[in-house]
Amino acid sequence: MRDWLFFPTSDRWLSILRIGLAVQLLLYVFSLRSDWNYLLGGTGRGLVSRDLAEVLLSLESWMIPRFGWFIGPARQLGIDETTVLSLSWYCLTLGAIFLLIGLYSRAAAVASWFLYLCSVKSGGLVTYGVDALTTTGLFYLMLSPLPDRLSLDHFWRKKLADSQLLGFWRRVLQLHLCLIYFFSGLTKTLGRDWWNGINLWRSLIRPPFDLIPADILVRFKYVFPIAGVAIFLLEIGYVFLIWRRGIGRVWLIAVLIMHVGIGLTMGMYLFASIMIILNLAAFGPGKLWPEKELRGDVNLSSSLDPA
Amino acid sequence: MRRKNICLAWLALHLFLVTAICVWQLSWLIANGLTVIPFTPAGIASPAEKARSTTGKRAWSNPAKQLLVGYLHCAGIEGAYGFFAPNVPENYKLAFEFHNRDGSVEYDLPSVDSGAAELRLGGLLDAIGRSDSEKYRRILIRMLTTAAWENHPEAVSVHAVFGKLKLPSPLEFERGVAPSYEFIAAYDFERSADSDPK
Repeated sequence: MRDWLFFPTSDRWLSILRIGLAVQLLLYVFSLRSDWNYLLGGTGRGLVSRDLAEVLLSLESWMIPRFGWFIGPARQLGIDETTVLSLSWYCLTLGAIFLLIGLYSRAAAVASWFLYLCSVKSGGLVTYGVDALTTTGLFYLMLSPLPDRLSLDHFWRKKLADSQLLGFWRRVLQLHLCLIYFFSGLTKTLGRDWWNGINLWRSLIRPPFDLIPADILVRFKYVFPIAGVAIFLLEIGYVFLIWRRGIGRVWLIAVLIMHVGIGLTMGMYLFASIMIILNLAAFGPGKLWPEKELRGDVNLSSSLDPA
Repeated sequence: MRRKNICLAWLALHLFLVTAICVWQLSWLIANGLTVIPFTPAGIASPAEKARSTTGKRAWSNPAKQLLVGYLHCAGIEGAYGFFAPNVPENYKLAFEFHNRDGSVEYDLPSVDSGAAELRLGGLLDAIGRSDSEKYRRILIRMLTTAAWENHPEAVSVHAVFGKLKLPSPLEFERGVAPSYEFIAAYDFERSADSDPK
């Protein structure tokens, strides 16, 4: 078990996770650029109150990061809330750019995780699933043995991490994804309408996910029950089959196609992209393309395959 | 070796927490009769509701709980992963009827600029609709009304209507049944001297 958890692997997966999460963060900040201050504004200054979200957060734990930690002291210095929120947007964007190029990778990962968490928790009333998944991805990234070989840090310092430690953090991500899919699929099996396709139909025609007109969708009414069952079988089967050499590759591709489909048909681009990034980082190297050794060009796809 | 042992201990705890939260959420869904498993709803609070109903005093008085909950949020594992499961959640809508001093009426909806923010706004309306707390619902609707009021400076009062979207099945849709809204609640607010709706 110990050997399985600390298996030697290259840092290819970490490069995918770092670059992927940096792109995800950039998509996040730019997609919300025009609404940033409006979504995170305090009472009377935004869509809903950041103050209320933070009070609810305090009831759960005082340890959870939030923008209120900065806004209060900044007011004492004569800096208003709008300025602090705007600065936080620029800092998060800068953190994502540093992550993307791999400059001060660890510091950029920690700062990005912290600022992202602040934005998600302070905007707690307007968050959804993508935020928790991105937080988890950033959490693992900042704990993983950075820098990876595609980063500028490595270009300057030429220092690579212990391959077993890299393997451990990759296993953490893999196991977490298995739990996500297993429980998501299991919960779907307990919903009657996932068996008859009604849930799939409802998810596609319900605003704001109704990108495809219902009169087009209804032509595929006989496909919905099959697709509904296929989705939860794909999710439940993930934990058992993703590790296998042949079928694992097919399963991974099918899951990636499912997420692309969610993004295109429901407009949940950020949700689709974070799931694709996490899957590619966890299982891509070795499944979709050959795994490489840390140093040299020895192809280790047979010995280091996570399957 | 020592570092590996620490990593293993952390991983065991971390995955245990992820699993425990998912099992808890699943049990809650079953216990409340929201799944195909026959079960009489017991009115058990969901993990999120339970956390929010915790009083400040109780939460502050338990540092271990503070630490644990803080860790869950920091790792992004505070919630379960039942995306659109066991069933697709209901869809809710909020509409405003602004009454101006001259007697004219303007209609509006809560609005944001970007598509990404619109998804989040939709999630907020769903959360308001799912809440059992009338007080919580009223507070949030008042906040959304205040935000929308900025676009209607002449309005002296507003009638906010909150409803649930009823979606037809594919067969109903083919028979010509269109999505319809079911009334849930209405709220009236008036602009006070300090411009805050009351």
